[in-house]
Amino acid sequence: MDLGLFQALERERVLEVLQRDKALRTIEADRIRRLKVELQGIYRQGAKTITLPYGQRSCARCQRHLGKFWDCGSVCCGCSHRICNRCRVVRSAREWKCTMCHAFREFKIKSGEWFLEQQAKKFTDIKENHETTGDKLLQSYQQLSFIAVVPPTPPPFKAVPSFNRVEDLKTSKPFTKSMENLMMSVSAHIKKLSKSQNDLSEEAGQLTVDYGRMNARRKSLSMGALDKAFNLSKAPSLPDLSQDTKAAEQYASASTICLTDDDVSYASAYSDEQRDSNSSTGMDCGFFENTSVTGEIEVAFGYNSRTSCLEITIKACKNLMIGDMKKKCRPYVKVRLLPKKYHSYKMKTAIKRGNSPVYNETFTCVVDREQLVSSVVQASVWHSRGLKRKLFLGETLVRLADLCLESTNTRCSVWNTLGPKGHALGGDVELYTSELLLKAQLQFLPQTSPHTDDILIGSAGQLKVVITDVWKLLSVSKTAYIEGILCLSGDRELMQRTPLKKTADSLQINFRRVTRQELQQATLQLNIWEKNTFSLADRLLRSARLGGESSWQRLQQMPGEWHDFVLPLHADVSTNMRS
Amino acid sequence: MASANDARYGQKESTDQNFDYMFKILIIGNSSVGKTSFLFRYADDSFTPAFVSTVGIDFKVKTIYRNDKRIKLQIWDTAGQERYRTITTAYYRGAMGFILMYDITNGDSFNAVQDWSTQIKTYSWDNAQVLLVGNKCDMEDERVVASERGRQLSEQLGFEFFEASAKDNINVKQTFERLVDIICDRMSENLESADPSIVGNKQGPQLNEQPQRSTKDCAC
Repeated sequence: MDLGLFQALERERVLEVLQRDKALRTIEADRIRRLKVELQGIYRQGAKTITLPYGQRSCARCQRHLGKFWDCGSVCCGCSHRICNRCRVVRSAREWKCTMCHAFREFKIKSGEWFLEQQAKKFTDIKENHETTGDKLLQSYQQLSFIAVVPPTPPPFKAVPSFNRVEDLKTSKPFTKSMENLMMSVSAHIKKLSKSQNDLSEEAGQLTVDYGRMNARRKSLSMGALDKAFNLSKAPSLPDLSQDTKAAEQYASASTICLTDDDVSYASAYSDEQRDSNSSTGMDCGFFENTSVTGEIEVAFGYNSRTSCLEITIKACKNLMIGDMKKKCRPYVKVRLLPKKYHSYKMKTAIKRGNSPVYNETFTCVVDREQLVSSVVQASVWHSRGLKRKLFLGETLVRLADLCLESTNTRCSVWNTLGPKGHALGGDVELYTSELLLKAQLQFLPQTSPHTDDILIGSAGQLKVVITDVWKLLSVSKTAYIEGILCLSGDRELMQRTPLKKTADSLQINFRRVTRQELQQATLQLNIWEKNTFSLADRLLRSARLGGESSWQRLQQMPGEWHDFVLPLHADVSTNMRS
Repeated sequence: MASANDARYGQKESTDQNFDYMFKILIIGNSSVGKTSFLFRYADDSFTPAFVSTVGIDFKVKTIYRNDKRIKLQIWDTAGQERYRTITTAYYRGAMGFILMYDITNGDSFNAVQDWSTQIKTYSWDNAQVLLVGNKCDMEDERVVASERGRQLSEQLGFEFFEASAKDNINVKQTFERLVDIICDRMSENLESADPSIVGNKQGPQLNEQPQRSTKDCAC
């Protein structure tokens, strides 16, 4: 959609309405976030903990003992747990729910989640809902108007691709806003910006734009969008950028404007070279989207499992192109390991000349075997222009899991086609489903063996595993469920499955009657299955494994405490089916 | 400029977080049927006879107390003119309920109702709740659309129907309140029907035994 057809005044009016809407949505998102926290609190309180030996009945909420004939509780139609009389919320003579199901229902109502669910049934592409439409408009027009109004140094690079539009605006739109107004609004934006910095830094950490978008849908529609809208002023105020802005600092000092604190003016933020240095976060402004990306890059990988060294060799590039400019190409390749959370490697090749440069440069980084499968190598090609802003020529993302690095010692060298930012993996969802976040807790309860003196060593405990980021699974498949297999010493296997959950925030698996000794050599295999509606066979999507003494030691040393684990997810190449 | 706006649109109203839930409502219909007036009457209890065409979209926020709940309404007022259609239809998707308005003194606006309802079907969610409103019922002398025709059409389309007047403040509040009630009903229906799919069909028979919806009589 384009407001270009409207007259300048109309445009002003519409943008003003959109701005108000955005403010409203920000507040709303805030409220929903608080509701979510509340709900999580209730969940935590009322999470089912089976403290009694199997066969004895207890209320799933308050753990009160339930009798066989008298006060035996009944099953909640929401969660299928047995609930005592006290933990119910009665809505009508026949209808009641347990406190937790009730709280969840209330949350859905209050947050408007019910509507979003309904909406999603008809519109599968969530991106295009009206909120983002409004934001898109706001974003594009805000940028343009700021450029045209701020006179000091007309930003050199923005003028090139959006030349026509700026020109068009300059001639057609009489700008009535004075400088003061403008500056006021700029500082207002910066205030907003600093508020959303947490989100931002998170986004920066995760590198890809779509993460923000996905997250935004779940927790706050507007925050993510807001972040993007103020993308341009991101660079100077982000604290975590300072680490990779060394090169930029010299540019900053060379230029007349000093970027030190948050009060930096829009103009300076804009015209400064600084935002280049954080290319990985700053380039998502769609600046280069319209320039076609061509060319290929040859990369070779090798992994030494003894030293845990990953060797990445950038061999050569061919058919590079800088937009449609007739300039000589001075390309270099930047290599990063993703997800950024685990890898701080950032490597660059030398700058070569020509459209088909040969580098043959090898970078070595230490990557744990476990992390290898979840890591992605990002190789981006840039055109260097000395002190001027560099240009993005294309990038490729290589999933190390696909390369079978561990099995072969030979280097596999592959030509990869360069693509535009973030498109290479066919959806960034893949990238973020490469690991599973979970909490685990081991409980030993004296009641389980009241007659033994040696309570702690020989007694059976309960291992509880909560998968915390269920939404990730849902992005893999709408009908995903988790199967947990706890392999204990002595060929004992415990198997538990979670139900198909479409909406819950967490999934829990409990293993009962596990002793300490057994646990020492145990491994916990977590399989993500996809329920197939049309056939009886389910499909194995991913699996993760929790094992090793150190993990279990952590649990055993502090029983009753929750421990967080991040497990790499392995995609099973052979499609496993089962009935 | 900003402060003037805030005063005009009730800053307090929009930043207030003391409510239970938020509904988004969209008012659509031909140009000059009185959508903006209708909204102004409801939100500000004001009326100006002068006609000012709405530019693109606009909205107002009003918090009401209904069924023991504080409900914040974000009511979107759209431009009826064809040239704004691209921007207005983009907002259909986020709306939970619609007020489809025609002018009882304007035959064309009534004839366009069918088209508007098709627009809703195309751009909105499947359970969109619509109220058909014949505005300007104070101008009985100039009436061209009989009340009965409006009722018939609304039945045909499956909407509820009101005749209202923004000028004389007839049925304005009732329209909005009725729409809120319908959305509430729809909400609880959706929530009830969503539950068994999570649980599986174990509890099937029990769930089928709960058809009791809060019975509300139509206010018209």
